[in-house]
Amino acid sequence: MLGEDSPLLKTTGLTRRFGGLLAVSDLHFEVRRDEILGLIGPNGAGKSTTFNLISGFLRPTAGRLEVFGRNCTRISPIKISRMGLVRTFQHGSYVRTARVRDNILLGTVHGLSGAGRTDRNRRVEETAEILGLTPYLDNSAGTLPHGIQRLVSIAIAFAARPKLLCLDEPLTGLNQTEVATTLNVFQAIRRDFGCSILLVEHNMKAVMSVCDRIVVLHHGQQLATGTPAEIRNNDEVITAYLGKRHAK
Amino acid sequence: MLQTVLQLLATSLQIGAVYVLFSLGLTLIFSIMRVVNFAHGHFFAISALIVSYGVEHLVAMGFSVLPAYLLSTGAGIAVALILGAIVYQFGLRFFLRDMEGAFILTMGLALFLDGALLGAFGGAVRSVPEIVSGDVSFFGVAVTMQRLALCIAAVIVTVALYWAMSATKLGKALRAVAADHEAAMLQGIPYGKLALTGFLIAAALAALSGALIAPVSIVSPVMGSDYLIKGFMCVIVGGLGSVPGAIVGALFIALVEAVGGYYLDSSAATVAIFVLVIVVLLIRPRGLLAHG
Amino acid sequence: MDRLRIPWWLAGGASAIAATVLIQDAYTTSIINLIAIAALTAASLRFVMLIGEVSFATAAFVGLGAYSAGVATTILDWPFAVALLVGPVLVTAVSIVFGVITLRIKGPYFTLIGFAFTEAVRILFSKTEFIGGTSGMIGIFPPPAIDAWLSTIVMAVVVACVFALYAIEKSDFGKVLVAIRDNENIATSVGINVLFCKVACFAIASFCAGVVGSLHAFANNVISPGDFSFLLAAFALAYVKVGGESSILGAVFGAIILVLLDSYALGLGAGENLFYGGAIVLAVLLMPNGLIGLVTSASRRLARARAGNGPTLNRKTA
Repeated sequence: MLGEDSPLLKTTGLTRRFGGLLAVSDLHFEVRRDEILGLIGPNGAGKSTTFNLISGFLRPTAGRLEVFGRNCTRISPIKISRMGLVRTFQHGSYVRTARVRDNILLGTVHGLSGAGRTDRNRRVEETAEILGLTPYLDNSAGTLPHGIQRLVSIAIAFAARPKLLCLDEPLTGLNQTEVATTLNVFQAIRRDFGCSILLVEHNMKAVMSVCDRIVVLHHGQQLATGTPAEIRNNDEVITAYLGKRHAK
Repeated sequence: MLQTVLQLLATSLQIGAVYVLFSLGLTLIFSIMRVVNFAHGHFFAISALIVSYGVEHLVAMGFSVLPAYLLSTGAGIAVALILGAIVYQFGLRFFLRDMEGAFILTMGLALFLDGALLGAFGGAVRSVPEIVSGDVSFFGVAVTMQRLALCIAAVIVTVALYWAMSATKLGKALRAVAADHEAAMLQGIPYGKLALTGFLIAAALAALSGALIAPVSIVSPVMGSDYLIKGFMCVIVGGLGSVPGAIVGALFIALVEAVGGYYLDSSAATVAIFVLVIVVLLIRPRGLLAHG
Repeated sequence: MDRLRIPWWLAGGASAIAATVLIQDAYTTSIINLIAIAALTAASLRFVMLIGEVSFATAAFVGLGAYSAGVATTILDWPFAVALLVGPVLVTAVSIVFGVITLRIKGPYFTLIGFAFTEAVRILFSKTEFIGGTSGMIGIFPPPAIDAWLSTIVMAVVVACVFALYAIEKSDFGKVLVAIRDNENIATSVGINVLFCKVACFAIASFCAGVVGSLHAFANNVISPGDFSFLLAAFALAYVKVGGESSILGAVFGAIILVLLDSYALGLGAGENLFYGGAIVLAVLLMPNGLIGLVTSASRRLARARAGNGPTLNRKTA
C-alpha cells in the first residue's frame, strides 16, 4: 500500500544499454507527492530514454523501477499507464487527423469506459477548459498552430486524470505568454488535482521557476539532484550545462 | 536414399530457376517503388505466348529452331518493355509508394490483359518444341538438356543482375533509392527516372523467365497467375525488396514444392508453402534475409 | 456527439428494402442481391481499414461463412435462421484467434499473411471431400416459404449490418480505432489496450464477412472453393477505393458501380475482362480519392466559388 510519504516514482540504479552505447546508467531519483520535478540536461543526455524507461516503453538493462510502491521493472506500458502514470511524447503526441475534442477523448477512454458518453464529454470539456483549449475543440489537431498542438498533447494525458503526469518538452515552440500560462496550468493541476508532474524541459527559466526539485542528467549519468537554488549554484552543473549566466 | 535427395535437389533447382527470375522482378519493383505489380504474371505470359507463336511461324518459314527461339525471345522481351513503359507512364507513375492504389490499378490492368491475351491468342494451350535436346546425367540423376540450359541461363542472368546492382552506377543508384528514397532525391538522384528503369528491368526479367519456361511447360494466357502467387511467396520469405532474398526465397519455395510434391501431392505442397509463409511473416516479417 | 443522420439512413434503407419487394423480375433481383452482398463485403473490409490494415483474410471468412451455411442446411438440416447465424458466429471465433496471433504484425506484412491464409483455406476447402471438394456444394436453399422473400431478407440484413458498422465507426470506440491507426503510442500511454481494440475491430468486421458468406450461399444456392480466393478481397478493396475510402457510403457506391459495370460486361462475352479491367484502371486514374473524394472536392470548389462572388467586389473608391 502506498504510504503518505512514499514516493510516487522511484528509480534505483536504473540503467539502459543499446549494444555498446550506455544511454543511461545508475539513475537514483524519485518523484514525491504534490511535487513538480524537472529533468534537465543537454541533448543526448538520456532524458528521452529515462522517460521511456519509467513509462514501460523500454525495459531497463539493470536496476529497479517502482511506481506507486509496486515493482514495475518489467511491466508493460499499458499497465503502468493504467496505474496512473501517463506520459506525453516529444514529437507529435496527438492524433493529427482528429479534432481536438476527439484527441482529448482518448485520455478518458480507459478510466471512464463504463461511464457513458455524457461523463466522457464532461471530462473532455473540463480538461479543455483547464488548458485553454475550449475555442479549438472542433478544430482538426493537425491544422492548429504548434503551441496549441502541444497543449492538446498535454490535454490528452491529463484527461486520464493521472497521479503522475510525465511531460516531454511541453513548452517547445511556445511564446513567452503561452509559457507563463502553461506554467500556471501546471501549478493548478498540482494544486487542484493532487497530481505530481515530471517535466523534461530545455527552457531553463521555466524550469527554475516552476519546479520544486530538479534532476540533472549528463551523458546518461545523474549529475546532481536538488532544489532550483542548489542546482543553480552547483559547480559541476554550471560547467557542464548552465553556464555562469544562471548562477545567480 | 541419396538418389532421391539428389533428384529432389535437381527438381528444386529447375523449378527454382524460373521462380528466381520471376521474383527478382517483383522484389525490384517493391524495393524501388514500394508497390506490388499485380500484372507481373502477364508480362511473363505475354513473352511465353510470343515465343510459342514466334517459334512456330519462324520454323514454318524455314528458320531452324535455335535462331527462331532467340528471335522470338527478343520479340517477347521487346513487347514486355513497351508494355511496361506504357503502364508506367500512364498509370503506375501516379501511384508510386501507394501500395493500395497501385494494387487496384495493376489488378485492373491484369484483368484487362486477361481479356486482351485471350482475345489475341485464344484460350488454347500451346507448347514450344525443345530447343536443345538430349539428356544428361549428374551423379546418377537424369536431367534434360533443355532444363539444364534453363538453369544455366537463369544463373547467368542472376549473376549479371547481382553484379550490375553492386558495381554499376545505375545499380548503386537503384540501391540508394531502395534504401532511402528521400535521401537519394536530396542527392540529386532522379527518382522518377529510376523507378521507370527499375520497372522496365523487372518487366524484362519477367519476359525472360516466360521465354525460358516456354519449352519446358505448357503455355496459355492464364499461366501467369499461378507464378504470380508463388512469386509473392518467394519474395516474402526472402524479404520484400531484397535481391539476395528473392534468390534465397525462390530456391526455398522451390525446395518445399519439390519435396511436398514428391511425398504428398502438389496442392498439399502449396498449402505447406502458405503455412510456411505465415510462420515466416509472424516471426521475421521482413523476411529471412532481413537485418533483424 | 456526432450526428448519426438517422433520418437519411432510414430513408435510404427503407427505399432499398422496398425496391426488393416491388421488383419481381428474376434477373434484376439477382443483380440487387449481388450488389447488396458486395456492398457489405466492401464495408467489412473498410472497417478493418479504420485501424490501417487491409485484410485479405476477409475472403477466407466469407468462404467459411458460406460453407457453414451450406453444411448447416444440406448436411445437418438445421433451420434457416440457425443456418444463417452459424457462419458469422464461427467466423468471429476464428477471427479472434487469427487476430490475436497476426495483428501484432502491421502493414503489407499483415496483408500478405491474410493473402496466404485465404489461399491456404481455399485449397483446404477444395481438398475436403465431405463439403464437395473442388466441385463445392449445391442445393443450399432457404425454406420454400421464405424463398420468395429472400432478396428482401438479404437487403434488410445488409442494411442493418452496414448501418451497425457506420454507428460503431461514429462512436467513441470508432474514434479510438482511428487514433490507433494514426498514433498507436498515444493510445498505449493513456492505458488503452491497443491489441484488444484491433482484435475487436477485426472481429466485428469478420462477423459481417461471415454474414456475407451466409447470404451468398443462400442467394446463389451453389458454392465452390473458387468463389473465395483472394480475388474476392481484392475486388472488395476495388469497391472501397473506387467509391472512396473516407466514408462507408464510398464502399456502398463503389460496390454498386463496379457490380453494375461487371454485369454489363458479362453481356460482352469475350470482352468482359477487357471492359471491367479497363473500367477499374480508368476509375482509379481519374478518381484517386474515389467517387466520394470527387464529390467532396467538387462541392468544396463550388462553395469557394460562391464565397468569392460576394464581398470581394466591394472596392474602395478613390
